[in-house]
Order: sequence, then structure tokens, then C-alpha cells
Amino acid sequence: MSALFPVLVRSLATRGRLLAMGALGLIAVLLAVVVRVRSDATFNRPDVAYNLVDSYGLSVLVPIVALVFASAALGDPAEDGTLVYLWLRPVPRWQLALAASAAALTISVPLAVLPVVIGAAISGVGVRLVLGALAGALLAAAGYTAVFCGLGLRVRRALAWGLAYLLIWEQAVARLVKGAARLSISVTTRTVVARIDRHQPLPRNAMSMGVAVLVPLVAIALAVAVTSRSLDRGEVT
Amino acid sequence: MSDPMGDPMGDPMGDPMGDPMGDPMGDAPGDRASPASIEVRELGRWFGPVVALSGVSFDLRPGVTALLGPNGAGKSTLFRILCGLANPSQGSVRILGEDPRRNPALTRRIGIAPQQESLFEHQTALEFVTLAARLHRVSDPAAAAAWSLVDGDLDPDDRRPLITYSKGMRQRVKLAQALVHDPDVVVLDEPLEGLDPRQRLRAISRFRDLGERGKTVVVSSHVLDEVEKFGSRILVIAQGRLVAEGDFHAIRDLMDDRPRLLRIRTDRPAPLAAGLLIGGAVQGARVSGTDCVEVETDDAPRFRRAVAGVARDAGARLTEVVALDEDLESVFAYLVRRR
Repeated sequence: MSALFPVLVRSLATRGRLLAMGALGLIAVLLAVVVRVRSDATFNRPDVAYNLVDSYGLSVLVPIVALVFASAALGDPAEDGTLVYLWLRPVPRWQLALAASAAALTISVPLAVLPVVIGAAISGVGVRLVLGALAGALLAAAGYTAVFCGLGLRVRRALAWGLAYLLIWEQAVARLVKGAARLSISVTTRTVVARIDRHQPLPRNAMSMGVAVLVPLVAIALAVAVTSRSLDRGEVT
Repeated sequence: MSDPMGDPMGDPMGDPMGDPMGDPMGDAPGDRASPASIEVRELGRWFGPVVALSGVSFDLRPGVTALLGPNGAGKSTLFRILCGLANPSQGSVRILGEDPRRNPALTRRIGIAPQQESLFEHQTALEFVTLAARLHRVSDPAAAAAWSLVDGDLDPDDRRPLITYSKGMRQRVKLAQALVHDPDVVVLDEPLEGLDPRQRLRAISRFRDLGERGKTVVVSSHVLDEVEKFGSRILVIAQGRLVAEGDFHAIRDLMDDRPRLLRIRTDRPAPLAAGLLIGGAVQGARVSGTDCVEVETDDAPRFRRAVAGVARDAGARLTEVVALDEDLESVFAYLVRRR
């Protein structure tokens, strides 16, 4: 796996992707600066700072960055034919799946997780929000990258399918339907932030801290397993 | 202008080596004494209504075998199935006695140079081949990669990324990564495309050397004259079917036996056409201009022997004799019809 990881990271880190996703991250930091400098009496800084982490960081920035990089981690090699140079080697498929997810996560952390954490810190409402943002964004990034790696391998136009999944499932169904919330990376990781920050009210359909941490971890394990199976049974062009 | 007295039909007939259109299973290329490295049985593959391969069966043993066929014949699909990259729709493939599908361990014994050009473009040639060596768990992968590159006339110290490489250089890099772990079975999809003549000769010499060392080397090509240099064993695939297999010369003869259309340029087309028809060297002739006659023959060697004498008797001066249907597609179409 140590041989696969740097190749996948380097293939993913194209200038265009880095610039576009870096700009999204910069927005989080700039918004945090605005939150910090506003000083009028009616301004509820803790609430707005929390919403910045929750509504922009975990609901937009992290999933989009994870989608862009993770869907390309195996999707690009599958499309341009270079996957054969990784696939036709005596390497267990789970290692290839894990290396691809890890490569996408490695790039997503500085571009998505870090801006969320820096934004939480800049907004100046306390260390609990910073810790919550770190834990929630890391879990979300890991969960989304694992899921989108498999998506990129299985479908063409993975970006479009990924966006549809984010909008329909994560942002709509999971927020409205209680049972679906337990299968949502978004709701679970937003719950982690809220519970660490002790923010009230909790997100709609929030669950216990244990469940909120467990669900993304299970999603990661399942996604890597499914991606490994796809690599094992699918066809390589 | 071509040599008027030259050989318009290409290579003269060699010694027949049996019926190249015979039972594919009964005339397998390779040394029959050694076990088959590659066994293909009734292989079929289709994509929806499109049949890419149908009823393909053959055994391959150590040595070089050329897989010949026009573009779109199914060569790459066959190669992908041989390497386990794709599933057959029917039939079976055994490589060194094992099913290549879902068998990563077997990949240690297979080397492939795929047809597509994409490589990890940001890497250097040495990094790319070293990656292959590392994934194959070659001891001292960097040294093995450097050796493999040098063997392909490439500089392992070249720091340029692969994106700057020419097509010929990329072909040699692909070959280097396919051979870096010293595989027993080597599958090379159109490996000579983009190589200059000197590099082609070098690559062909390398393939033959691998075959002589007991490796099973399968090389695809759509250029008939190219595969003659690989060795004598050939599989011909067209429209997804194995249409001929066996010795190169036998297949070449078979191709020579098909009806041929030729154009002859001469100062006296009508007397020449009449002479050829009367002598039975051609079955049809058409004067198509003041200096041109087109003839059809189903006995190319006989035509070759007769044309100069007929021209002399008719007082005609030959300035050109060319085959009008020499392209491989027409040859393969003929083989498919015969099959």
C-alpha cells in the first residue's frame, strides 16, 4: 500500500482541482473573519460561528471537496486506462481501495478540514467549537472519501451522481426522516460537532454521541469493502 | 514506380505447413511436448448485441506467438480476458493452469503492455517502472527498473516526466514495466506501434529472446509483414473469430491463394490483357485506360510466373504491377468467408 499511496496522491493533486477546492476552503476562512470582526449588539457570534461550521463546513465544503478528489481517485485511472498498472499486480484489492481513500482524504484534510477548523478558531467563540469542528470535519471527510471512492469506480459522471446523493439524501431525506438520519454522514457528523460544542438546539434527528461516531466509521468500513469487491469483480478497461 | 518485374504479390510461397484453417485445437502453435501456458476454450465475449469474440479456442506454449487481426477484430478484448482484466461471456481461460480472474497472485507471473497510451504522466520512466517492480515485490526494485529501461534503450536517469515522452518512448516504457518482474507469460498489445524501424528490430529481437528463454510471449499486430519477424507461429483473428492458426508461411500461402485484383501499367494494355487471358494466368481483365489494365487472378504464383513472358510476347513494356486489394482488411475478410 505504501507504494500505491504516493502515486494516487500525486495523480489527484492537479493544479485545477487544488485551486478550485482551495478557493472553497478560503471562503470558510473569510467568512470566519467576518464573524470575528462584527461587533454589533444583536449579533449572536456563537450561533453564527456554529452555523458556519455546520451549514458551510460540514454541509458544503467537506462533502464537495471529498467528492471531487475521492471520485477521481479510482475513477480517473479507470477512465484513462492507467488502473491496469495498479490492478494487474499481486496487490490485495482492499489495499488498493484503502490507498485510494487515504489519498483522497490526505488531500481533503488541508483543503476542507483545516479551513473549517481554522474558521472555527478565527471566529473566536471557544475551544469546544474548534474541537467539535475538527472531530466532525475529520469524520465527515473520511466517510465521504470512502463512499465517493467506490462511486468513482462504479459509475461514469460520478461528480453528478455524488452531487445528487448529497442534495437528495444527505441534505433532504436524512434531515427530514428520522430513520434515514442514522444512515447519513452529514447528520451524524453535525451531531458530533453539536454535542462537543454543547450547542442547542441539536441538529434535527440528532442521535447519541456514540451512534454519531460509529455510523461514519461503519460507513468507511462498508465503503472500502464494497470498493474492494468492485475491484475484484469488476472489469478494468 | 515499382519494379515492373518485381514481385507484386509479396513474399513467394514458402513451404506449406499443413492446413492453417484446420481445427484450431488440432493445430495449436507451440511445442506440443511442453504443457500449454495458455489454454483458451470456446471463448466468447459480447457487449449487448455486439459479439466481440465467439468460439475462440487455442493453446499456447512457450515461445513467441503473434496474434494477427485488423483493428476491431477482438484482439484487445482477447488480451484483456487472458490477463483477467475482463470476464468471458462464455468459455474458459487458463493461464499457467489457473483462472486469471480474481487471482491477483497470478499477476506476478504475467506481464502486460496494454494498447492505450496513458501512463502516470507526472512520473519519470524510472519511477513508473520502479512502481511496477515494487508492486510485484521484486527485490531491489529500483535496480530492476533501471535494468529493464536500459534493456529498452531508455535512460533510467532521465528526469523528464512521462508526459513529455514520444509515442515510441512510451511504448518502450510500457514494455519495461511489463518485463521488470521477469514474468512467465508476456502479453503485448500492438507493442511496435510508434517505434521507428531501428527500435522495431530491437523490440522484435527482444521478443524472440524472451521466447527462447522459455517465456510465453503473445504479441498482437495488424501488420502481416511485421509478425513474420516475431517467429513462425500465428493466430489470426477477424470479426471475433479465430480464422486461422499455425505457421506463418502456411497462413501467408493461404492469403496468396485468395483471388487477387492487380493493376498493370503498360504501353500496350490490350495485347497484354489478351495474352494473359489466353494463357489462363488471369480469370478476368479490363483495360481501364490507355496505359492500364486491371486483372483478376485466383492463382497469384502462376500470374507471377507468366506475366513477364506474356508481356515479352505481346511486345509490351511493363512499368508497374501492383495489387489493389493488398490491405489486411480484405485478406481477413477473405479468411472469414472461407471459415
